[in-house]
Amino acid sequence: MPTLFAVSSADIADHALRAVQKLLVELDGAGAVVIASADGFELAHGGRATVAPARLAALVSSFAALGEVASRESGIGTPRCLVIDASDGRLVVRCMQLRGQSIVVVVLADAGMLLGRVLHVLAAAEQLMGHP
Amino acid sequence: MKDFKIVFTGTPGAGKTTAIAALSDTPPVTTEVRNSDARLDKAHTTVGLDFGQVDIGDGQCVRLFGTPGQARFEFMWRIVATDAAGLVLLIDNSRPDPLADFAAYLDAWRDLLPNMSCVAGIGRTEGRARPTVDDHADLLASRGLVFPVVAVDVRRRDDVLMLVDMVLALAQTRA
Repeated sequence: MPTLFAVSSADIADHALRAVQKLLVELDGAGAVVIASADGFELAHGGRATVAPARLAALVSSFAALGEVASRESGIGTPRCLVIDASDGRLVVRCMQLRGQSIVVVVLADAGMLLGRVLHVLAAAEQLMGHP
Repeated sequence: MKDFKIVFTGTPGAGKTTAIAALSDTPPVTTEVRNSDARLDKAHTTVGLDFGQVDIGDGQCVRLFGTPGQARFEFMWRIVATDAAGLVLLIDNSRPDPLADFAAYLDAWRDLLPNMSCVAGIGRTEGRARPTVDDHADLLASRGLVFPVVAVDVRRRDDVLMLVDMVLALAQTRA
């Protein structure tokens, strides 16, 4: 059973924690899921992998912002996902809205997890989170 | 065409994004998002980097990079500082303890300062006279560091150009 943590006391953190829990169930095998505010604060995290969630939250918020501006400058619209495909796994980052607040979701997946599955589950999560 | 890279860093709200926008010949690249930190009195904050560029004549271009201000983004400071010729350190004098802010940034950049030409710009001095620019310079001297410390209004293009000019002049003396 993965360990779960909510960091902020705000209502948004409760929703973020539930989203982390749901993602960990649907992405069985994901090492970690971290949800951050768009300005780099950790809202919730969970998983069995050893990560520094506060640091990862700040990192992915920077990635997300850079991805957005790079997409805009390149004329390719709004980015859906950023993927860091590394030798031993992947970080998959997706920006979405959670109860009206911009958040960044990052999934740490091992190399054996299908990227398409992660993208599909994150897209479905975005649909659910966008509704109150 | 020879170009130079100068990095703007400093406290949140000190005006790094504003300074680059004031000087850049091209629309600046910004990575601002809505601020959720109640301790900061600002609607948006930079989480990635800022970028602009200015032609300084004779076929020379200065590339201007801004860092996020908050310490949680310190990893970006190192990334942005790679191969930079100079550093503009901006301090917001209206914050509760500007000297402590200055000291914190000097500590954070300590290992890079010996290889960079640096200038400190103290902003919002009109609303708060103390600490004075001399107080900031004294703090610098107490750490065995010497570089220009000047009062600036980063909304003014000429003030930002002055900072860049100082950095470039210092860089020339090091070359």
